[in-house]
Amino acid sequence: MTGFYPEGLAGTIATWLAALVTILVFSYLLGERRIFRLAQHLLAGLATGYLVLLAVREVLIPRLVEPIGSGSANPFLWVAAGLVLVMLGALWLPRSVVAVPVAVLMAATAAFALGGAVAGTLMPQLGAALLPPRLAVPELIGSVVSLVITVLVLLAFLHGSPRRRVVVGAAGAGRWLLLGGIGGWLGFLLVSRLSLLVDRMGFLLNGWLGIGR
Amino acid sequence: MAPMTEPPADSAAAEPADAEGAAEDVRPPEYRGRSLGLARRGLPLWWLLLLALVGAGVLVGPSIEHEADALANPDPAAADAVGQAFGQLPPGALVLVAMDADLGTYPEIRGTTVTALEDLLRRGASLAFVSVSVEGRAIAAAQLEALRSDGVPAERLLDLGFVSGAEAGMVRLVDGALRPGMSGPLPALVAQRGGGIGAFDLILLVGGSDIGPRTWVEQVGTRLPARPMVAIAPTFAQPELAPYLRTGQLSGLLATIRDDAAYVRGTTTGDSSGLLPSAFALRIGMLVALVVLLRQLALALPRLRGGSPAPEAVEQ
Repeated sequence: MTGFYPEGLAGTIATWLAALVTILVFSYLLGERRIFRLAQHLLAGLATGYLVLLAVREVLIPRLVEPIGSGSANPFLWVAAGLVLVMLGALWLPRSVVAVPVAVLMAATAAFALGGAVAGTLMPQLGAALLPPRLAVPELIGSVVSLVITVLVLLAFLHGSPRRRVVVGAAGAGRWLLLGGIGGWLGFLLVSRLSLLVDRMGFLLNGWLGIGR
Repeated sequence: MAPMTEPPADSAAAEPADAEGAAEDVRPPEYRGRSLGLARRGLPLWWLLLLALVGAGVLVGPSIEHEADALANPDPAAADAVGQAFGQLPPGALVLVAMDADLGTYPEIRGTTVTALEDLLRRGASLAFVSVSVEGRAIAAAQLEALRSDGVPAERLLDLGFVSGAEAGMVRLVDGALRPGMSGPLPALVAQRGGGIGAFDLILLVGGSDIGPRTWVEQVGTRLPARPMVAIAPTFAQPELAPYLRTGQLSGLLATIRDDAAYVRGTTTGDSSGLLPSAFALRIGMLVALVVLLRQLALALPRLRGGSPAPEAVEQ
């Protein structure tokens, strides 16, 4: 059914295992929490084990150990290795020392995320929201409506400052628009989750039990 | 004289019989004794009913679904845009598949992803898989294995593996996508074209709920704006990704079941029934959801009219 399970014994075992775990998770619907918790622990343990394996095999050995071992390492790699060692010894080292790798990590993550959000989302979206001259009437109406909705929703986030009656009314309308947007998104989420449920039921009935196949 | 441990008669009568029900039901009167009562007895009938109905839909659906109404109103616009982006690829194109789907949502887009990969291979493209998320890597490894089992020549598939560092990893890929020690015709071609993501003619973004197409657009799209990007994502990601389509940062987006249905139907040469969720079962699920929604609305009406406070207010 998924194309992931090979033919033969390995595929059969994989299918039965997948069906068993699916039923373990579904047991929560009958109020059986212990079995569900077992499935949760199984997932957490497997995910952690997989993450460690991936980190060792695909990151640490090829990108750190092998370059350093072969003597062809970039000098910055030594610095990075030193920072990693400091993180490993975070429990025993002074705070001021541990703060250095933590600061580098936080700053780099924030810089990439913020820079990407501004250059890749905020600026292009602002550009697309501008009303170019000589716009066709339907597009003009659509753009103006988008602009009005955006302004009203932004007004809904005005808190703490004294406001006039018009602004209060606009903020109220913005809140309702916000709720409508969230409701629409929940509809998308519902369709997404329903298709997952249908997939699992299809797997159990068709892929595992062979009914209707 | 009564023993000290014996509770007063009135409190004993007020206590529920089961241990789990010891907590006081603080909800307004119209809510009390409804769904919580079912849960106390361990019989959430709504869930069982939903499972039974969806299961029946999965079984019965294929025999009663017709081509025209199998999935309501498939939207060809998104599928056409994706087909157009694929159609502009040069012969023997190199396509980077950024596989960052997650295990929880991949079943929804699996059929579309498999169809897109087959479509690209049919057009003569070679595929290189890379992941910056752990679950995406697991799915990429399985997908690569499935393609190899289906007889796709090894020289048309390239495994670039897992790249750590999320956003930083993506930026690193822009300059160097090849892992140390890689050899073969495809790595040689990538190296000849510069070794980074710029070596690829198109990027196919397969996203989930973790790191997804948005991050790829923000990190890689801003550095390589001329590189076309096509995204496949679960339905819930559509509102987040649609604006990038409007700005042209994405060349194509398949992010709803309507889009998926139109694309899979228009692309698959053989039977496509197993690649899409059963429309009949989906409809049943939607009807159940609608009933639940209306029921909750009916329960909430007195509160909306101002008749009684919200449950959270009562708790406080």
